[in-house]
Amino acid sequence: MTLRMWARLGLIAFGAVIIQVGLLDQIVIAQAHADLFLLLAISAGLVAGPQQGAAIAFTFGLVADLFVQTPFGLSSLCYVLVAFAAGLATTALPGRATFGFQVAAAFLGGVGGTLLFDGLGVLLGQPTVPFHELAVVAIIVSAACMAFIYPACRLFDWTVAVGPGTHRDAGAFASGSAR
Amino acid sequence: MAVSRRNTSQRLTLVILLLASITVITVAYKGEARRATGSVRNGAADVVSPLQRAVASVLHPVGNFFAGMADYGGALGENQRLQLEVGQLRRQLIESEQAQVQLDQLRAEQHIPFADGIPEVLAQVISAPSSNFDVTIEIDRGTSDGVGVGMPVVSGVGLVGSIISAGHSTAVVQLLTDPRSEVGVRFGSGNVALAQGQGETDPLQLQDVSETAFTYRGAPVVTSGLDVAAYPSGIPVGTVSSVRHPGGSLTSDVLVAPLVTLSALQYVAVLQWLPPA
Repeated sequence: MTLRMWARLGLIAFGAVIIQVGLLDQIVIAQAHADLFLLLAISAGLVAGPQQGAAIAFTFGLVADLFVQTPFGLSSLCYVLVAFAAGLATTALPGRATFGFQVAAAFLGGVGGTLLFDGLGVLLGQPTVPFHELAVVAIIVSAACMAFIYPACRLFDWTVAVGPGTHRDAGAFASGSAR
Repeated sequence: MAVSRRNTSQRLTLVILLLASITVITVAYKGEARRATGSVRNGAADVVSPLQRAVASVLHPVGNFFAGMADYGGALGENQRLQLEVGQLRRQLIESEQAQVQLDQLRAEQHIPFADGIPEVLAQVISAPSSNFDVTIEIDRGTSDGVGVGMPVVSGVGLVGSIISAGHSTAVVQLLTDPRSEVGVRFGSGNVALAQGQGETDPLQLQDVSETAFTYRGAPVVTSGLDVAAYPSGIPVGTVSSVRHPGGSLTSDVLVAPLVTLSALQYVAVLQWLPPA
């Protein structure tokens, strides 16, 4: 990854922090809100492929962990797995990923990421979230991911565009995002 | 061959990143590193909070619009419920004025402590939790204002929670309903118990209440202030919302509805009181 690419990723992370804590945390629906960093992790996997996507997600996870009270590193662990799975799914595609595929990946990533975060949290001694609350969180998070997956993928297209093309994962070509 | 090499490389990257994440979690879990992580988090919150406030003040109406749109049915129902409540409250106001006079007399006679004499720091709630798995709020007062970890946080109605992390100009409050929150309480005819949070939308659960303990629905629950309690005594916590005696058990299931509407807090007061060491 080039310096320019990291600079753009830094810009995205900074913007994401401001949007998350300044806006999204205030839009609470049924006691849950959107998780912008999870959306970015899914998008990173879809656009940059499993390797680069997971590396980006790891970094974004560390940033996200600065603003929550859950164990430091938990978001990174969760986002790495989600981004890698999303990236791997794109490499399995025979052709370019369609918009429908990205929306489906956003849904599955939203639900899977939420459940994974909760499950890993319980393993690390975090309190169990009641099932009905977890279901609501998963629905809200995945709905937000589906709604904003398109602009998020375009954002990573812009970022990956300044990366070394030869290093880009095969997943990027299958995602339909790489031009 | 190339595909196989790529797969190996992908797996290696995944393993390295997973190990890195687990290392971060493990290191940050230990004493010194944990404190260092807390300091970094507080520092990050301090840096972001001015921007956060500016963005929130500009975008708050946008957030309200979307939140209201998403919960239009709920808002309509709540509006009707509130109108009903206004009528009831007007009636209760007259009754409570009389009760207040009696309460003041009682306090004067018995010196019941209800945060009297404890210095307060007023604070504005600047953020809801950034994670769906936190039951916390962030306030705009920190160590520079005399706010410290462990201090109780109240609203005009009753107990809100306690400070779990304090930066220079911001602090994080763990709400009563957080499953990690435990409050020593007194209720009914002098019974004491621990009230544990069960999540944002659920009532508090009183632990190990003997089935012989007398209580009733609507009974007031206040902090006990016993021994090394984390809160001074006499702060209203909530009212008993349900009492069940499961057959064959020596304990009762007692649920407590918090007095404070924790999801709609705008201003709180931090009591500059620390639990005895």
